[in-house]
Amino acid sequence: MKQKIFKSLGWVALLVGLLFCLVQSTVTAQAKTYQIGTDVTYPPFEFANKQNKYVGIDIDIMNAVAKEEGFKVNIKPVGFNAAVQSVQSGQLDGVIAGMTITPERKAKFDFGTPYYKTGVVMAVGKNSDIKSFKQLKGKRVALKTGTAAADYANSIKKKYGFKTVTFDDSNNMYEDVTTGNSVACFEDQPVMQYGIKQGLKLKIVSSPANTGWYGFAVKKGQNTELRKKFNQGLKKIQANGTYDKIVGKYLGNKTNPKVKGKTFTIGTDVTFPPFEFANKHNKYVGIDMDLIRAIANEQGFKVKIKPVGFNAAVQAVESGQLDGVISGMSITNERKAKFDFSQPYFMSGVVMAVGKNSKITKLSQLKGKRVAIKTGTSAADYANSIKKKYGFHTVTFDDSNNMYQDVTTGNSVACFEDHPVMKYAIKQGTKLKIVTKPAESAPYGFAVKKGHNQALLAAFNTGLKDLKASGTYDKIKAKYLGTDDNGSVAKTAADDAGSRSFFGLIKQNQGALLSGLSETMWLTVVSIFFATIFGVIVGLLGVVPSKFSNGVSSTLIYIFRGMPLLVLALFIYTGIPSLTGTKIPAFIAGVVTLTFNEGAYIAAFVKGGIEAVDPGQMEAARSLGLPFGKSMRRVILPQGIRIMIPSFINQFIITLKDTSILSIIGLLELTQTGKIIIARNLEGFKVWTIVAVMYLIIITLLTWLSNWVQRRTKV
Amino acid sequence: MSEKLRVTNLVKTFGTNNVLKGINLTVNENEVVVIIGPSGSGKSTLLRALNRLEEPTSGSIVIDNVDIASKGVDIDTVRENIGMVFQHFNLFSNLSVGENIMLAPVELKKETKEQASAQAKKLLKTVGLEEKFDATVQSLSGGQQQRVAIARALAMNPDIMLFDEPTSALDPEMVGDVLAVMKDLAKKGMTMIVVTHEMGFAKEVADRVVFVDDGQILEQGTPDQMFEHPKNERLQDFLNKILNV
Repeated sequence: MKQKIFKSLGWVALLVGLLFCLVQSTVTAQAKTYQIGTDVTYPPFEFANKQNKYVGIDIDIMNAVAKEEGFKVNIKPVGFNAAVQSVQSGQLDGVIAGMTITPERKAKFDFGTPYYKTGVVMAVGKNSDIKSFKQLKGKRVALKTGTAAADYANSIKKKYGFKTVTFDDSNNMYEDVTTGNSVACFEDQPVMQYGIKQGLKLKIVSSPANTGWYGFAVKKGQNTELRKKFNQGLKKIQANGTYDKIVGKYLGNKTNPKVKGKTFTIGTDVTFPPFEFANKHNKYVGIDMDLIRAIANEQGFKVKIKPVGFNAAVQAVESGQLDGVISGMSITNERKAKFDFSQPYFMSGVVMAVGKNSKITKLSQLKGKRVAIKTGTSAADYANSIKKKYGFHTVTFDDSNNMYQDVTTGNSVACFEDHPVMKYAIKQGTKLKIVTKPAESAPYGFAVKKGHNQALLAAFNTGLKDLKASGTYDKIKAKYLGTDDNGSVAKTAADDAGSRSFFGLIKQNQGALLSGLSETMWLTVVSIFFATIFGVIVGLLGVVPSKFSNGVSSTLIYIFRGMPLLVLALFIYTGIPSLTGTKIPAFIAGVVTLTFNEGAYIAAFVKGGIEAVDPGQMEAARSLGLPFGKSMRRVILPQGIRIMIPSFINQFIITLKDTSILSIIGLLELTQTGKIIIARNLEGFKVWTIVAVMYLIIITLLTWLSNWVQRRTKV
Repeated sequence: MSEKLRVTNLVKTFGTNNVLKGINLTVNENEVVVIIGPSGSGKSTLLRALNRLEEPTSGSIVIDNVDIASKGVDIDTVRENIGMVFQHFNLFSNLSVGENIMLAPVELKKETKEQASAQAKKLLKTVGLEEKFDATVQSLSGGQQQRVAIARALAMNPDIMLFDEPTSALDPEMVGDVLAVMKDLAKKGMTMIVVTHEMGFAKEVADRVVFVDDGQILEQGTPDQMFEHPKNERLQDFLNKILNV
């Protein structure tokens, strides 16, 4: 009896409640409360938190939309199937429950604007080396019953020959993989991502398959107003950033407060495709570039990319000129002594490549032959380590293209290079082939100066983890390397055939070449100006009647004339900041370098020019009572300068040419521009020809100008 | 006859080589002193030490009661008062004839260009080259260049003129013109010290002839005493050699 009474009382209560709702909905239309169904537990979309409050992406989006559009919602976690059925029966107004939009469902529901993209991903143990479905052959894979992920796994099971084991809930499935009973599991991407963020010792190794969209649904033909409001609200929260905040809250897109809004200067190589290279629009792209930008974006900091060349970048970080370096840099113990590395973001290995028609297939065939390597790379280290054993000798280059070219021209028989780089270059048309399997696999890492920029390093690690979890990392990798070994490379850097002719290349790179030329001209003009002042002063110090001044002059000339320009440039750019702790902009470092070096030569011939004037001239002037300075100015210098003019012209031309050496510190002058263009299109011969002709034109003009000046002064 | 210049114990060494070994010499105002001696005897060094083109190692050079060899003397001011003519003329090759003469007066005496050029023209006239005012140095013959050099030295109105073998680098036919200018200068009462091999000039113009050998003054006297009655054996030797060529 008691039970019956309770039951009937319950029904009454329900009826009253429904009535109440009905009344409320009709009376206060503006603040209508919609009944929305959702799943009981589907993290990160809906789940009860510690305080037993329902949270998750779905819940937060729904609430945010309601707030934005001024309606009320009552979200009921009734379970997925119950929610869907209740909407169909009209008991609930809508459902938001990680519900994938499918054609079947569309027949019964009207969906709002898709609000979340999902797909099935495969996850493996953190230290597993399984990367592709192929490796699953004969292995056991864990699934969760009734999920789209399980359906997908079952659909490819035969093809890849793996066995499955099913679990009733996600945690057990995960555990089966972490304990090693199963080698992999399949799961919806966001769910997996969230799990990893929560500390699961798994990693996502495939890009999302069977991708689909989650949508908010109402019964077909009903609640049109609610659907419209949802769409409008979604649009608004996507526009104002609320959407990103919600997703980030659960999937780790949180910006890092320690680095937020800061700008970091990151050094990289100029010619290391597919990790970094300038594309057609002269924008730096590549795996490293996309990765650091994606991480910066995710962590909320800004990066300024400085493609200064690998060695210069590494040294600039060491000297504090740059904040970090991402440049396909292998993590080695030696480097660890000076740098703090991030988690490895790429595993590479060294391969040997030979000319397309070469018969060499083994290291043992290298005996007595010449092999090309690139300075400072782990491939070079590897080659050097096996050099003795296989009896070959090496020749070193500063950039990859020169190294490849040395092999294609036949000067060297082979080269050693990081696998992805070589693979990419060959796909871009370099006439080489890879003949060995990757050896000496080395992880690439992002590096900062030891003990410095720790917040940046931490942000990189967090960002990398999030990108891996979200699949963005795989996408970036696939963009440049293809999804598997036979995959095609995205056509990021390839140009059409027409733009490979001389005129095509000139037309295409006009902007870059001209801006390189103008940088070269600026460097030349500014450097000549200061070098002349410096040189004349030092030269005069060398002829005044003071032993101290003479000594200073000789010493300055000795030091700066005796030091190779390249060494001087590197010393000033990376050495001085290491000593003083202040950064020097590359342009200023370049000007200072040329001022000292060219100035020393100028000083030498100024001194020589003055000394070449008949000493009797000075004696005659002094015997008249003219002081040294006046004698110098009125008698000696006018004659000396006439002697010096050809040397000045010579020196100006040398200065112009020497600016090319400053490409070593990353100045984007003509030579560096050429290097960058070649790094992209590998048209070494044609681009160098264009660059060479440009130099010749400028030098011809400069020579004409100088000759004109010389003729004028001869009068 | 007042004393113009007194050299006392003048020593000049180049490293271990003693070029002047204690010279004592007095020159009076308006006197023309000719220094003779074999090459390498130190006569040019002696002359050049008198305006400190060669820095004396020790000793004193007193001109108008000032020891110009002592430290703290403004040698440039001293030199304004001592004209010098060189064996190789040393005209400023970047300047025209007129400019050569005008440079020092304009720079040091702060004369205007007009004053300086008027004076330069006057001086050129006295050396017989008034038409060469605008000429380049390179267009002149050696003799002409040397006469311009004399005009240049005179432009500062010096009290003393030093001549360092002024005719040695000249073709024989040019020597006469230069010597004529010098004689003229002597007649006007210029105090002159002349190093030369022109014995004719010495005989005719010199008030006193000084024989220097091995860094020392071995004999001095009137041209008559020196040329007709030389006492010193080395002087006799020297005269024999140059007069009997």
